[in-house]
Amino acid sequence: MSIRSIHWPHAVACLLVAVTAVLLCFGALVTTFDAAMAVPDWPATYGHNMFLFPLSEWLHGPWDLFLEHGHRLLGAAAGMVALVLAAATFLQERRRIVRWLVVAAVALVIVQGLLGGARVLLDDRTIAKVHACTGPLFFAVAVAIATLTASGSKPSRRSDGEPAVRAGDANVLPAASACLVAASYIQLVAGAQLRHLDASLDPQTFRQIVVVHLVGAAVVAVLSAVSAAAAWRRPGPAQRGWATVVFLLIACQVLLGGAAWVANWGVPAVAQGTMLDAIAPTGPVVARSLQGSVVVTLHVVLGMAILAASVVLAIRAGAAPFALEAAKPQRAGAVA
Amino acid sequence: MTKAMSKHTSTQPVSVRPVLSLHVAASLGLLVTVLAVGCGPTPAASFRTNMVMAAKQRLTTDQERQVATIVEAMFGTPDEPVALPETGLDEAKLLLAAGPVRSDIVGRKNGLYREHCVHCHGITGDGLGPTAAFLNPYPRDYRPGVFKFKSTERADKPTHADLKRILHNGIVGTSMPSFALLGDAQVDALVEYVKYLSMRGETEIKLMQAYFELDDDAQGKLPETREFLVDEVLAGVAEKWKSAADAAIPVPEMPADIDLAASIAKGKELFHGDKANCVKCHGVTALGDGQANDYDDWNKAIVDFGREIAGSREQAAKTSTAEMSPDELAEHKATLAWLEKSRQVLDGDSLRPRTIPPRNLRQAVYRGGRRPLDLYYRIHAGIHGAPMPAAKGTIPPEEIWHIVNYIRSLPYEFDGELGADRSMVASGR
Ligand code: HEC
Ligand code: HEC
Repeated sequence: MSIRSIHWPHAVACLLVAVTAVLLCFGALVTTFDAAMAVPDWPATYGHNMFLFPLSEWLHGPWDLFLEHGHRLLGAAAGMVALVLAAATFLQERRRIVRWLVVAAVALVIVQGLLGGARVLLDDRTIAKVHACTGPLFFAVAVAIATLTASGSKPSRRSDGEPAVRAGDANVLPAASACLVAASYIQLVAGAQLRHLDASLDPQTFRQIVVVHLVGAAVVAVLSAVSAAAAWRRPGPAQRGWATVVFLLIACQVLLGGAAWVANWGVPAVAQGTMLDAIAPTGPVVARSLQGSVVVTLHVVLGMAILAASVVLAIRAGAAPFALEAAKPQRAGAVA
Repeated sequence: MTKAMSKHTSTQPVSVRPVLSLHVAASLGLLVTVLAVGCGPTPAASFRTNMVMAAKQRLTTDQERQVATIVEAMFGTPDEPVALPETGLDEAKLLLAAGPVRSDIVGRKNGLYREHCVHCHGITGDGLGPTAAFLNPYPRDYRPGVFKFKSTERADKPTHADLKRILHNGIVGTSMPSFALLGDAQVDALVEYVKYLSMRGETEIKLMQAYFELDDDAQGKLPETREFLVDEVLAGVAEKWKSAADAAIPVPEMPADIDLAASIAKGKELFHGDKANCVKCHGVTALGDGQANDYDDWNKAIVDFGREIAGSREQAAKTSTAEMSPDELAEHKATLAWLEKSRQVLDGDSLRPRTIPPRNLRQAVYRGGRRPLDLYYRIHAGIHGAPMPAAKGTIPPEEIWHIVNYIRSLPYEFDGELGADRSMVASGR
């Protein structure tokens, strides 16, 4: 394979997805350890140019500083990769949807960086919440670009030679998977409100957010079950893999959510005196314990993975608007 | 549209596909941003007035404001705490615990209370943090200055070391976490801050109660003199904290001449006997299934106030306004307004009261610590703020040790016999 035959937009988009995944893990850890204000200035780090901050101080300094500064470096890296992606896309991609998504990605990464800066400079937890909502959105866009630019990405219904699908069934998977994208994003938004608890939040409002998050969990679970069932009922193996992956991830996520609650806040009043007591830890809740921190951070990261996987599923299942475009010539600029 | 496209979308025109996944996600993200920015930046943290107490004392809005002003002058704000010398509090420690979460120039974390405690105990220490409604028992409201698990006599304050132990061990069986993974200096600062919030809350309550004792010529205003505010009210509150160290429960040596099985048997007798009457609440089985419908002081205050309002409401509804003089009518109207306000306060500033069941003593889960000494303290002084009474006065000290030994044997007692694991049963402390 010669270097000219590489479809650069796809390669760079995959890199962007990878960098962003690590970036999001760091972001989630920053929230878990309340480390956002570990560095008081921005865009500098303790007066140093961010990129010139001494490596040893970063790696051997306090854990909070390691997280926050690492998060900043990764954010900068994601921004640069996004710019490279933009260049590659405008050279090698003709599809409008891809170009627009890349524009969105660049815009989002800039906004996200500024939000991160504002969160620190103003020390504002409301901005932190918004920052936590834009992060996964950017990730979803990056995943969408990577999926659309993959050469194998053809809407399943294009695969000719499949037996005709019954008219009613045909749209279940695209619709359910598209709804899943929206619902799993809403779950991340609600989850961010539960994680970024500021002092002024009252118990009543908190309770409402919890209810939204729980109802959301049920909706996401149902949607993923519907998607999986629809994928398996379709003739041919197309999308079965992704639909199953999403379904299993969500099953894990529900368990992790419960564990995250118990690990941090103990057994909730409603579950006391039920079977849950039997599996609840016998010792005290331990603040900042490894298990507790890992479980709650994983819950966030898995939430983002679910969003990403449902984006892939939705695109490959041919949910609009991608169905429109995916069929057009893939490699406008590529040399045969 | 390409041929392939038109073929596979033949069931439905592309343009009316109902859901545009990413568009939806994108517009949602935008919506969130707009909403959050529209709500404006997070307001600066401020302490909340003890509205339940204010309503109970029937304070006017002006009086509420006067109390808030005085308390702020004495204690500062969540971001800038003040420790008057009379409190005996260490301001440097308070500064480490107060304020927003951030690291200082040497990488030391500040704002510890807001990092670790505020989501349960609330910014004011009123136990009304965001998560509170889901927890049972509710997070402690520090403002009445009452603490359950300590080495001092029932009515006394806990010592600094008591509070540190609670933070270190957490409270097993509740959501109160252990902060053993925090550094000692951090725990120290947090304890100082708990004391600060508690003193602040107690001072506020004392001030609110003081209106009741005002002379007529005070015109409903507290005297804003140093003698009254600092020397009388604040010093009175602080004094109890300062003398906590002198209020330690005297613990006699465990009687050495009695063997363990005999001690347990004696303890069992006492536990079931009329004098200690532990079975009344903990049940003959010790499963905690005796009288289980009682409240602790914090919840009882809400229950009682709720009843008081309900009673007055009924009264007011029955009262006919027809034959009232203008003065009486004005008073009646004031009462109605107070009832309405109190109802709102109870809705907004308190949680649905919860009972505190007596402990199941067969689970070996002791919230106040599981050392024999801890159990001695619990039985001697009872649990302040909870229905659990003090045995002090009714049971001689050495007999309390028998009860301790019996309690410690309960989780291992099968069919009324002491189980195998004797080494778990206290013989020393
Ligand atoms: C997850 C919720 C939660 C967090 C976080 C939490 N607490 Fe608590 N705390 C509780 C609950 C619930 C109780 C009441 C336990 C009881 O009544 O038995 C409590 C009780 C207490 C008590 C009273 C102990 C006694 O002897 O009466 C103190 C003091 C206390 N907490 C301090 C703190 C401090 C300081 C922090 C932060 C470092 C903190 N708590 C964080 C839930 C929490
Ligand atoms: C009026 C009812 C009542 C009586 C009488 C009573 N208890 Fe309790 N006891 C309670 C309640 C309620 C609690 C739980 C309080 C709490 O957690 O705030 C409790 C808790 C305890 C605990 C647990 C302490 C811990 O650290 O978790 C022990 C041990 C205990 N009681 C022993 C006794 C003994 C021994 C007696 C007799 C001398 C006794 N109780 C009498 C109501 C009672």
